[in-house]
Amino acid sequence: MRLIRAELQKLTTTRLWWVMLAVTVAYALLQLGLTIGFAGVTGDQPGAPAIPGRDTREFQDLLWGLGAGGAVFPMVLGVVMMTSEYRYQTITSTFLTTPRRARVVVGKLGAGVVVGLAFGLVVLALTAVAVVVTVSIAGGELAFTGATARIVVGTLAVLMLYTLFGIGLGALIRNQLGAIIAAVAWVFVIEAVVSAIPALQPVGKWTPGGAAAALTSSGVDLGLGTDWLLPAWAGGVVLLGYALVFAAVASTTTLRRDIT
Amino acid sequence: MSAIEIRDLGKSFGAVRAVDGVSFTVEPGTITGYLGPNGAGKTTTLRCLLGLVTADSGTALVNDRRYVELPHPLSEVGAVLEATNFHPGRTALNHLRIICTAAGLPLARADEALEQVGLADVAGKRVMGFSLGMRQRLALATALVGHPRVFILDEPANGLDPAGIQWLRGFLRHLAHERGAAVLVSSHVLAEVEQTVDNVVIIAKGRLVRQGSLAELVSNGDAAIRVRTATPGELVPALERAGATVTQADGFLRVTGLDAERIGQIALDERVVLTEVGQERSDLQHVFLELTGEGES
Repeated sequence: MRLIRAELQKLTTTRLWWVMLAVTVAYALLQLGLTIGFAGVTGDQPGAPAIPGRDTREFQDLLWGLGAGGAVFPMVLGVVMMTSEYRYQTITSTFLTTPRRARVVVGKLGAGVVVGLAFGLVVLALTAVAVVVTVSIAGGELAFTGATARIVVGTLAVLMLYTLFGIGLGALIRNQLGAIIAAVAWVFVIEAVVSAIPALQPVGKWTPGGAAAALTSSGVDLGLGTDWLLPAWAGGVVLLGYALVFAAVASTTTLRRDIT
Repeated sequence: MSAIEIRDLGKSFGAVRAVDGVSFTVEPGTITGYLGPNGAGKTTTLRCLLGLVTADSGTALVNDRRYVELPHPLSEVGAVLEATNFHPGRTALNHLRIICTAAGLPLARADEALEQVGLADVAGKRVMGFSLGMRQRLALATALVGHPRVFILDEPANGLDPAGIQWLRGFLRHLAHERGAAVLVSSHVLAEVEQTVDNVVIIAKGRLVRQGSLAELVSNGDAAIRVRTATPGELVPALERAGATVTQADGFLRVTGLDAERIGQIALDERVVLTEVGQERSDLQHVFLELTGEGES
């Protein structure tokens, strides 16, 4: 417990956490703005609009689930929580204080839960304001259904689990730049490929992105299909699994290395 | 019980044998200088002792346990390693508070420790603006927060100005001789620790070359008598007959193998006038350089 508090202290005594929070908020605002702006627009193609109209219930659920898209930022924060210890050699005093090294990672994962949830709550608060304002103006009826609740919980879970994923990845790849590049490349390149190509979707659903999509799926098809996803609970387990497996593998490999 | 006990310690990095069968102990209430040229294996030894580096063979114990087995490491051992291990954007006080939190110590210890090392004025400043000397003091504060009785310091004088070095010497003596702490301090500059340490352990190329008290180390050198006379040609053969080894340098005779009284007696017998007779204090720096194979100074 005191290790979790120490890790949170480490975060709050440097500037990075609020820079990442500001970026996360900015990204959430951008996503909300674009989605609201293009809602109900049919474009050149005949048929239903790509994004449901602002007065529909589907639109509300879609909006609620947008926050998970910013999960890459708490993930990077998670990576930095681990790798900055090596970058600035603070790992020496960390391991002198807590010589059982696996405990350090457990402390960081605990702090990651708090950080991820805090980021998630901020994003959801923004979303709530956007939903209420937009739907009221459009004259729709506010509806908070069981499906909506599932998306909200899913969004929280995604932001939290991505933070843990980042910490696990950072423990595995001690080089800060290398770990961030690996994380971002994974999210934006590999995942984009496997979830876009139908033949790869059976693999894609097991990726962190696929798992996150399962957690926050509103059932609205934005062009890539949704039936290939895992059930929401399984998505959560898969994401948590990544974080824990990375951390466990790191504890027996990279973490054991000599600190010179 | 020795505060620090190192036995047959060995560690290789790839093909380099960094530490090769080193053994020594440090007792409470004493300061031991761990000396050797750069790259001799000092830092590796200390990091093995602190559980940061895993030894290939042998043991390194603090208070009879491996460091990783200490239940409250910071309350038993204070360590100062290289001066750069701080996050530049974090303040000095916050750095220490984090350590206090993680170690379960009261946060007030952070302020106390800064006071002790003379950094109270800059407690709220970010470490990025600190000089090397200030970082070194902050590192020392880190070692003090848990009120330990064993101190392990790796080149703590690096970056300190002469006044800082003077202060550090006094502080280490206070810790060891008044508070009964065991202090192990490494250095590649003998002069830095010469006036402070009680015992000396010398290492070169990973191997122990000498250990003992400072006094022993000095007297182990060839203690010579310097003799000056106007007529060395008459004295030298007599001294050599008596079993001495004599070398001439700078108008002096450097005599080993005989004590001053005996030399005086021989001079009297030979009716040679001595203008000067004195014990040549074996130069510790000379001994150090000889032992570590660095050649003459």
